[in-house]
Amino acid sequence: MVICFHSCDSVAFPTSSLQHERSLSRRRRWRWLTSAPHLPSGRQPTRGFQIKNSNGHPLNAASLQDGLAENLSAEESVEKRSKDGSKQNGSTVSITVVGASGDLAKKKIFPALFALFYEDCLPKHFTVFGYARSKLTDEELRNMISKTLTCRIDKRENCNDKMEQFLQRCFYQSGQYGSEENFVELDQKLREKEAGKLPNRLFYLSIPPNIFVDAVRCASHHASSPTGWTRVIVEKPFGRDSESSAELTRFLKQYLTEDQIFRIDHYLGKELVENLSVLRFSNLVFEPLWSRKYIRNVQLIFSEDFGTEGRGGYFDNYGIIRDIMQNHLLQILALFAMETPVSLDAEDIRNEKVKVLRSMRTLKLDDVVVGQYKGHTKGGKSYPAYTDDPTVPKCSLTPTFAAAALFIDNARWDDVPFLMKAGKALHTRRAEIRVQFRHVPGNLYKRNFGTDLDKATNELVIRVQPDEAIYLKINNKIPGLSMRLDRSNLNLLYSARYPREIPDAYERLLLDAIEGERRLFIRSDELDAAWALFTPVLKELEYKKIAPELYPYGSRGPVGAHYLAAKYNVRWGDLSSESS
Amino acid sequence: MALSSPKCPSSQFALRPSPAPRSQRVAAASSSLSCPPIPRRLFSKRVSSQSRANRRWNVASVHDAARTLPISPAKEIDLKKVENGVSSAISAEEYRDLAGLSTRENSTVSITVVGASGDLAKKKIFPALFALYYEDCLPEHFTIFGYARSKMTDTELRNMVSKTLTCRIDKRENCSEKMEQFLGRCFYHSGQYDSEENFAELDKEIKKHEAGRLSNRLFYLSIPPNIFMDVVKCASKSASSANGWTRVIVEKPFGQDSESSAALTRGLKQFLVEDQIFRIDHYLGKELVENLSVLRFSNLVFEPLWSRQYIRNVQLIFSEDFGTEGRGGYFDNYGIIRDIMQNHLLQMLALFAMETPISLDAEDIRNEKVKVLRSMKPLQLEDVVIGQYKSHTKGGFTYPAYTDDKTVPRDSLTPTFAAAVLFIDNARWDGVPFLMKAGKALHTRRTEIRVQFRHVPGNLYRSFGTDLDRATNELVIRVQPDEAIYLKINNKIPGLGMRLDRSNLNLLYAARYSKEIPDAYERLLLDAIEGERRLFIRSDELEAAWALFTPLLKELEEKRIAPELYPYGSRGPVGAHYLAAKHKIRWGDLSSEHYKI
Repeated sequence: MVICFHSCDSVAFPTSSLQHERSLSRRRRWRWLTSAPHLPSGRQPTRGFQIKNSNGHPLNAASLQDGLAENLSAEESVEKRSKDGSKQNGSTVSITVVGASGDLAKKKIFPALFALFYEDCLPKHFTVFGYARSKLTDEELRNMISKTLTCRIDKRENCNDKMEQFLQRCFYQSGQYGSEENFVELDQKLREKEAGKLPNRLFYLSIPPNIFVDAVRCASHHASSPTGWTRVIVEKPFGRDSESSAELTRFLKQYLTEDQIFRIDHYLGKELVENLSVLRFSNLVFEPLWSRKYIRNVQLIFSEDFGTEGRGGYFDNYGIIRDIMQNHLLQILALFAMETPVSLDAEDIRNEKVKVLRSMRTLKLDDVVVGQYKGHTKGGKSYPAYTDDPTVPKCSLTPTFAAAALFIDNARWDDVPFLMKAGKALHTRRAEIRVQFRHVPGNLYKRNFGTDLDKATNELVIRVQPDEAIYLKINNKIPGLSMRLDRSNLNLLYSARYPREIPDAYERLLLDAIEGERRLFIRSDELDAAWALFTPVLKELEYKKIAPELYPYGSRGPVGAHYLAAKYNVRWGDLSSESS
Repeated sequence: MALSSPKCPSSQFALRPSPAPRSQRVAAASSSLSCPPIPRRLFSKRVSSQSRANRRWNVASVHDAARTLPISPAKEIDLKKVENGVSSAISAEEYRDLAGLSTRENSTVSITVVGASGDLAKKKIFPALFALYYEDCLPEHFTIFGYARSKMTDTELRNMVSKTLTCRIDKRENCSEKMEQFLGRCFYHSGQYDSEENFAELDKEIKKHEAGRLSNRLFYLSIPPNIFMDVVKCASKSASSANGWTRVIVEKPFGQDSESSAALTRGLKQFLVEDQIFRIDHYLGKELVENLSVLRFSNLVFEPLWSRQYIRNVQLIFSEDFGTEGRGGYFDNYGIIRDIMQNHLLQMLALFAMETPISLDAEDIRNEKVKVLRSMKPLQLEDVVIGQYKSHTKGGFTYPAYTDDKTVPRDSLTPTFAAAVLFIDNARWDGVPFLMKAGKALHTRRTEIRVQFRHVPGNLYRSFGTDLDRATNELVIRVQPDEAIYLKINNKIPGLGMRLDRSNLNLLYAARYSKEIPDAYERLLLDAIEGERRLFIRSDELEAAWALFTPLLKELEEKRIAPELYPYGSRGPVGAHYLAAKHKIRWGDLSSEHYKI
């Protein structure tokens, strides 16, 4: 099969049809379909959903039918697309980044929007607005943004042109997050740019959680699209526990319907997390193994090699369990462990994820180890303790490391430990899923070859970052006259196979939000189920003031994690000598 | 797990009782119980001096196991130095006696290469013996005899041999010194293959070098099949070891069909017992064929998939990129089916498809192989396609047709290519086609096993336009060249779209293992010296193998079926595709994507 990088064809924002909006996203995902998919009519199209066009890509469809997609040159498709566009030149998308001067906006959101523009993934007509309290002119915003824009390494041509074009579509509106007047002003500006086209509006809330609700209220009351759709992307934290999360959801729902809320978990936009379902469901060789019969344990590991570095203020209120485990790792776990969904539609997938989450045992204090990094001097350089961070209280007990053992009480996973581990200021930066398989029953090589079969079981590793890779550790014979066994890897290193740059998670998620593809966003009931698992243990940790086990900055984390693993007869796969 | 260069047997020689076939491993593991009837004589110097990693057992890690076993042989050698009895059933002293360690300085092995001036001897046997010597794998005292009709002196033999000796690339040091030492142990004796007197003379010569030691003798018959029997008779009558073992390595062809093979076996058995006959199939000595069992039986992830439930078909592919090149005389009598399929490919198939053996002992493995072979249907003519290469001109260079070979009759119908579909009628494999393909003068040189898996039932991704019929998983074990194992999987092409791609989970041996992989002959010679029969073909295996092919071979010859001609250097006759299509299969090696790997 040829690898060819397809330019984006999210093209079809044009108007004029009554088709359900999901067909839009399908156009990107299901680009091989030769006819318009028959859509499940799960939900009534709401306000924003009616205006979408069902005009598929006749050209694509035709050529793909014969499997000739590759013959379609990029120019041709662009040409065709703009033709489509000019015919139905009636809709536009306005993307408002609320909290435009913040770090996330600068480092991730604007660059992702530019990357999408660069790849021709954005609708033909779009406007980007920055909204924040600081007084800035459009020019100042553009200057600020331009510093963080980069072009794809693999096609630098026209980069400056493209940047210029993109920046020309960026505007700034200053205002308070709780001020209805200011949002009215924003609405006026939006209208100006929309110039009578059918307006669709996406708000990206890149602001602290305490002002979420204000901003949502104002935006919804005064800056919603009257005729097109209005969607709101919300970033974590989604509350601190079940109650606060439920409250937040309740507030959001006063102003928005479920379909308008896009809770982002950027881990779900990572390439290998996306690939997890493909691996499971499009290969015969994995699914038969995907159960308690063959899998001994699953490990979800996240580590960062830096601490809070002076920005612990936010973190200290949340801690690593809320910051990483309850969302990123748990989401990956749910995708890993879910039953086969009815289809790849967002609702079908999210239904399965909720089922997994609701089948899980509530986490108990016994099954959790917390840690906090302390100062460490190595090679003449001193690394600070967590509590050395000036924004962190001296006596903070907030965990910067946690390990937990979770169980899914269903037929597939009964008694299989799912180990999670997340930490800051560790020796390495890494996110990975490790699947350890059981022993070979009645292993012929047991008696004679002295391999420690307890350690030499097969292991499937999906490394999400850095250096995306998939590998399966197998036992084989060391070449030579002797019969000695060795573990080697059946390996797929992405950088070797796919030299192209892998898009940032935010690009994928923004594009999905624009297209109304909800698969990678977290539904309210998923969120509830996720909090239900962690809330009791979080409360107990705080109530009992459990002191975290200290570990040196840059180390492999507290040894308690090993004892936790040992309790379930597991060894951490990432800390064995061979893993590096 | 550390990758350490495999050291040669050393202690292992002490451990392995010889001809008691079933008991080798057991004996080693459980000490004295199954002591060899014939005293052990094959010991290298190292055994006596110190414990070293032995060949089959990883000493370091066996350590733990030793606590539960009566005694670990590896440990036992340590004991000598440590002077401290572990809580074992028998003492080190006793064990040494029982294992015949006390006689180790007094035994010797004499390896006689019958047909020493032949091609195989020069290119494979002597170099393999030298490589074993170089790696300290041969017993301390050994002698090599060349035997052939031509008159030659020892020095002439040494000159001849020395031209083909090479040292391991990775340790060239001492090479010429080692070569000198090795050649010093090579001698020549000329004689007729059917002359008992000549063999009696050989016997005297061997005795001279054995110098009273306990003598073990290995005869490697590198001669045409028509004189097998004569040599075996003479050697057995006049040059057998009086007090040690005598073993005979026989090369293919083992007959032409069931009858001639049975006659040969009967003939051999007049002079030899089954345990003395080592039928060599050098494909079984290849690294990845050895690894096949390891893959299957030491990994959890493969065995559950190893059946008709998940495997759609299995392909065994052998291709050479050259023809007979003026040496078709022998080949023309046999053809590719006898030359490659009935032995090499069928042996690989049997290893691939056999049930889990009770243990890794030679007899257990061979029992399972026989069961597979006997569960197979004899091959039908309609399930076979044969071909013969014709002349082809490419880039100004003309490649000859098979029948242009001067040693081949002009009107020869001998196939140089064959494809066949076989079925195993047992619970595991019912209805799964096993495709074989073997050919000369094709576009590439390659031997591989391809396992094509079934569809994903109810595939969620079917709407992505991937041709799921072709995008199933595939496990490829490439035996040569560039040993590799890879599993083709579907994954997502990185990027914002959702496009599926087939990529490989890959293990390329050259990248992972920098050491040179030993030649198949080294392994097999060493096994024969050690009495390890796992990789040699037992009489009943051979019989079952012939039973599958004989009716077809007869029919081909009786009906004078003309082979489909294919150009030299091409991908073989298209008939192979139609044969595959009949069973709804595509050859994995000829798909367009294959060449990207």
